[in-house]
Amino acid sequence: MDLEQLRKTAAEVVSREDVKYLIGWKKGTYGYRVAPVFVEDAAGAAELFFSPLCTANLTTYLTMAEKLPLPRGQEADKRKVALMVKGCDSRAVVQLLVEKGIHRDQVVVIGCPCPGMVDPALLAEKYKETEKPVDLKWDGDQFLLICDGEELAIPRDEVLAEKCRLCRYPNPVISDILLGDPVEKWEVAEDSGVAELDTLDINERWSYWQEQFSKCIRCYSCRNVCPLCYCQDCILDRLNPTWVNRAVNFSENTAFNISRAFHLAGRCIECGECERVCPANIPLGKLNRKMAQEVREKYGFEPGIDPDAEPFQASFKPDDPEDFIL
Amino acid sequence: MTEKPKVGVYVCHCGINISATVDVETVADFALKLPNVEVARTYSYMCSDPGQALIKNDIKEHGLNRVIVASCSPRMHEPTFRKAIQEAGINPYYLEMANIREHCSWVHEDREEATAKSKKLVAAAVAKVRLLEALESKEVDAEPAALVIGAGIAGIQAALDIADAGFKVYLVEKTPSVGGRMAQLDKTFPTLDCSACILTPKMVDCASHPNIELLSYSEVEEIGGFIGNFEVKVRKKARYVDFDKCTGCGDCAAACRVKDRFPSEFDMGMGKRSAIYLPFPQAVPAKYTIDPESCLFLTKGKCGKGPKCEEVCQAGAINFEQQDEIVEFKVGAVIVATGFDPFDASRKPEYGYSDYPNVITGMEMERLVSASGPTGGKVKVFNGEEEIEPKEVAFIKCVGSRDASVGNEYCSRVCCMYVAKQAHLLRDKLPDANIRVYYMDVRAFGKGFEEFYDRVRRENVRYIRGNPSEIFKRGKKLVVKVEDTLTATPLEDEVDLVVLGVGLEPRADMRQTMDLLRLSQSPDRFFLEAHPKLRPVDTATDGVFLAGCCQGPKDIPDTVAQAKGAASSAMIPLARGKVMISAQVATVDESTCRGCGFCVNICPYTAIELVTVNRFGHEVEVARVNEALCKGCGSCSAGCLSDSIQPKSFRDRQILPQIAALGVVR
Amino acid sequence: MSDSFEPNIVAFLCNWCSYAGADLAGTSRVHYPANIQVIRVMCSGRVNPLYVMNALQQGADGVLVSGCHPGDCHYMEGNFFARRRLGMLKDLMEYVGVDPRRFHMSWVSASEGHKWKEVVEKTVEDAREAGPFEGFRRRRIDW
Repeated sequence: MDLEQLRKTAAEVVSREDVKYLIGWKKGTYGYRVAPVFVEDAAGAAELFFSPLCTANLTTYLTMAEKLPLPRGQEADKRKVALMVKGCDSRAVVQLLVEKGIHRDQVVVIGCPCPGMVDPALLAEKYKETEKPVDLKWDGDQFLLICDGEELAIPRDEVLAEKCRLCRYPNPVISDILLGDPVEKWEVAEDSGVAELDTLDINERWSYWQEQFSKCIRCYSCRNVCPLCYCQDCILDRLNPTWVNRAVNFSENTAFNISRAFHLAGRCIECGECERVCPANIPLGKLNRKMAQEVREKYGFEPGIDPDAEPFQASFKPDDPEDFIL
Repeated sequence: MTEKPKVGVYVCHCGINISATVDVETVADFALKLPNVEVARTYSYMCSDPGQALIKNDIKEHGLNRVIVASCSPRMHEPTFRKAIQEAGINPYYLEMANIREHCSWVHEDREEATAKSKKLVAAAVAKVRLLEALESKEVDAEPAALVIGAGIAGIQAALDIADAGFKVYLVEKTPSVGGRMAQLDKTFPTLDCSACILTPKMVDCASHPNIELLSYSEVEEIGGFIGNFEVKVRKKARYVDFDKCTGCGDCAAACRVKDRFPSEFDMGMGKRSAIYLPFPQAVPAKYTIDPESCLFLTKGKCGKGPKCEEVCQAGAINFEQQDEIVEFKVGAVIVATGFDPFDASRKPEYGYSDYPNVITGMEMERLVSASGPTGGKVKVFNGEEEIEPKEVAFIKCVGSRDASVGNEYCSRVCCMYVAKQAHLLRDKLPDANIRVYYMDVRAFGKGFEEFYDRVRRENVRYIRGNPSEIFKRGKKLVVKVEDTLTATPLEDEVDLVVLGVGLEPRADMRQTMDLLRLSQSPDRFFLEAHPKLRPVDTATDGVFLAGCCQGPKDIPDTVAQAKGAASSAMIPLARGKVMISAQVATVDESTCRGCGFCVNICPYTAIELVTVNRFGHEVEVARVNEALCKGCGSCSAGCLSDSIQPKSFRDRQILPQIAALGVVR
Repeated sequence: MSDSFEPNIVAFLCNWCSYAGADLAGTSRVHYPANIQVIRVMCSGRVNPLYVMNALQQGADGVLVSGCHPGDCHYMEGNFFARRRLGMLKDLMEYVGVDPRRFHMSWVSASEGHKWKEVVEKTVEDAREAGPFEGFRRRRIDW
C-alpha cells in the first residue's frame, strides 16, 4: 500500500461533512509499538501508516464508545465513523452489521488488503526492541526491518503471527474504499494448535485446559478487546442472576472462559486479538478457533462474510447434526 | 416495595400414592428449615376441598404469599391450586409445584432414595418460588366464528351444530364435494341404513345454512394467531367452471372429448369419469369441476377445434381463465376433521391385490354393491378370463391392522362390523354363494353390533378362525391358503372373489395439516389429543379441536358424537366472547437489550420486533414483545446473549437457583 | 470409583413432550434410578446451554436435556434451536476436557414413557462411569 495515498485518502475522508473521525493506526511511542489514532483532520491523517505491526483490530472501537447520557436538548452526533480494516477486521464489521451493532450507513470502511502481520512478541524475542525508530516493511516472502539506516531481512515464517498463518481472508470482505491492490491468498496452514489438542484423550485435554485456566486473573482484557463482546452489561458480571461469581478462583475463571467461548460460537471471526492481549498467555485462540472450525465443518457456516446472513445462534437448519441425541 | 416472601409448603400423601414410598412427614420437616418457609404441612389429598382449605386458611392466618404444593404433576393440578390461592387473595402465579408422585413415588422403590429426592425437589421449588413475580392474565375479544377443516360427516356435523347455535362457520373441503368417506358407503352397520340417504340431508343443510360459508374444492394454506383470534388463509382452487352459472346439468361431461377415460376417485378407481366431472350424483355443491391434470385444454393447450364442454354448456359456465382465489378471515376456534385413508392393500403383496382383479378392498366392495356405483350394484368380477358372478367369496379381516410388519399395531375398530355388513349384503345379492370370513378375532362391541353379527352368521356366512398366509391363482380360481386354527386344519379354499378388510390409516397428507396447526401425532400416527381419557377432542393448542377418524379409527355414531363434542368445546370461547391470554409471556429489559435482533429471528410467532427508543438522548433499537402473540416458549431467551429477554415465571434468575438447590446432596 | 458413588443428575424437560412422557412413565409405574431430578421448562428451546455448565459447576455430575421430536415441537421450532445450541455446547465441553458422558440430550415424546426410562438409565450409567465431577466444581465454603 502506498502510504502517501493512504494519508491523502484519509484526509479527504475526514474532511467530509458527514464523517466524525477516522480510526487508524499510527506509530507508537517507541520500538515496535503501534497505537490506534482517532483522526479528525488532515494534520492527524499525516500520522497514519500501515505496516506488518498493525495487528490491532480497530473494529472494537466502533462499539466501545459508551453512549453517555446527553444533556437535555442536545442531539446525538450521528455522523459516520471511518475505519481502517484488514481482512480479518472487516469480518468483524460484517458480523456487527449482521447483529445490528452498527448500521451500514454509520461507517465508512477503508479496506487494507493485508499481506500478513508480525507477532510482536516473536519479533521482540529475536530482534530486541530499542529506543531508536524502526520501520518494518513487507518484501515478498520476507520482512525488512529498517533501523538506523540498516536493513535486515527476516524470513516471513520466523515471525508471522499464528493467526496470519491460518488466515483465509487477507483481503477485506467489505469496504467503501480499498487502499492498494488485493493481495494474493497464500496457502492456509493447518491449525496445528487445535489439531494437537484434538488428538489428546479427554483427561489429557482437561489437564491442558486446567493448567491454562489456572493462569487466568479475570482481567477481562480478552472481553474488552474483542470487537464482538460489546454488551453494556455482560451477563458474566451480573449479580441477578449470578451466572459466574466475581471471585477469582479456578471454578469461576473456567466458567467465565467457557461461557465466553460459547457466546462467541458462530460469531468469532478469528482476529486473534484475545490471545494477543491476554497477560497470562492463555491460548484463547485454540479455544475460539476450535469452535469456529466446528461451525464451519458441521454446520457449513462462516460468520462475518455475508452481511445478510442469519446469525448462527438465532437460526437452524432442518438437517443440523443430531447424532448426539438419544 | 417488594415484600418478604413467606412460603407455605404442602406435601401431599395422595392417599398412599406418595406416602407409601416417600416419608412425607420428613419432607415437610425438612421444608420448614428452608429459607423463608413459614409453614410446612402434610395432608392426605391436597387437591380435595379440605386440602385446599388448609392452604387458604394458612394464607389468611400466617400471611403467606408464596405456596409450594409437593404432590402430583403440575400438568395435573397446577390450575387447581392456582385457583385456590387466588381465591385466598394472593396472585395465582405465586405457586410452584414439586412433582413427587409421577416423577418420584411412582417410579422409585427405595424409600430412602425417594424421600431424599423429594426433599431436593421441594428445595428447588422453594428456591424458585421465592423469586416468582405476580402476573396478571389479560383478556382479549374472541371472534365469534369457527373454522372446520374437512367436510366429511364429522366436519359437517360439527359445522351444523356451531351454525345452529348462531355462530358463523367456515367449512373448508379439499375435494369438489362434501360428504367424505361416508358418501362412498352403501349401507351402514348395524342398522343397514342407506349411507347416502342419511347423509345427503346433512350435506344439503351445510351448504344452505345461513351461518355456514362452504368453501369446497379449497385448501387451508395458513393459520396464524391464537385462540379467539386465528387468522386463516384459504386457497379456493379454480374449477374452471363459473360456480354461479353452473346448473349441474352434466351436458359437459357427456360431451367431453376424453369422456369416461379417467379413474373416478369416488369409485375407488373402479369407475370412470371425464376430465370435467361431478364426483358423484348427489354431490354438494352440484357444480362441475375440470381436473387440470386430465383436461386436454389445460394440459396441452388445445382441445380439438375448441373445448367441447364450452361448446355445449348452455349456461356459459366454462371459464378456462379462472384463477385460484385466496380468501382470508378470522375465527375464534378451529376443528380438524380431515378423516382417514384406507390402508393400501398392495403393501400386503401376499394377498395379490396388485396382481388379481378379483382381489378387492372393503372400500372397493362398497362401490361394487352400491346402486350408484360403477356396476350399478351388480356383483360381478373379472377372474382373469371372463366376468362372472362369484359363487365362492372370501373376506379377510385385519388387513393392515394389528400388523407390526406394516407399522400399524392398532385395531381399526370398524372392519369386523363392515365385513359382517358386506357379507350380509352379498348374501342378499348372491343367495346361493358360499361366503366365508377369515378372522383372528371378532370385535362386535357397539350398540346392536353383537346382534348383527349373530344375524349374519345365521344367514349362513361361515366364520373361519385363521389368518390367510397367501392368495394365488389356480386356473380360474383364487386359492386362499389358511389354517383353520379351531380345528387345526390347513385349508386351500378356492374362491372367485376375495375382499380384503382393510383398516384405516392416517391420511397421507397429515404432515400438511400438522404443520398448519402444530399438531402432534400419537404413536399410531393419528392426531394426538390433549389427554387420552379426559380430553379426547382437545389438542395441545388452545382453541384447536379434533373430530372423527383423524384422531383415531371409529365408526359413524362415534364420529358424530365426537364432532358434537368438538363443536361444543369450540363454542366455549365463541360464546364467552373473550379469551384469556397466558400471563407467562416474554418481556424485555430495555436497558440491557443491545438490539441485535436474535430474538426477532428466533421467535416462531413473529411476536417480537425491534423498536426505536430514546436512551438518554440516543436513539437505540431494542426488542419488544407483542404479548398477545407470545406463547412463552422462551426460545428467544436462550438465544439472548445479554439475558435481556426473559419469559415470566421461567426467568434465568428463577431457574438458576433451582439448579443450585439440586446440586446439593441431601 | 467407589461402588457407592451415586451420580447427581439434573434434567431439563420440556413441558409438552418430555415432561409429559416422564409423567406417563410415572402413571405406568415404570421404575428408574432416583439419581435424576427434573427442572420443568416450557420448551427445550428455553434451555440456555450455559445451564449445563452451571449445573456441573453447582453440583451435578451429569446433565440431561430432553424435548419433543423434530417437527413436533409445541412451539414449532424450539427444539431445532436447542439441537443446534446444545450440539455446539457438547463440542465445546468435550474440547475443554469435560467427559462427554456427562451431558446427554434426548427426544422423548408425550407417549414415550418407556423411552424416558431408558434415557434416564443411560444418563445415570454414563455419569456413574464418568465418576464424581471435580473439574471446575464450585466449592462451597461454609464458615
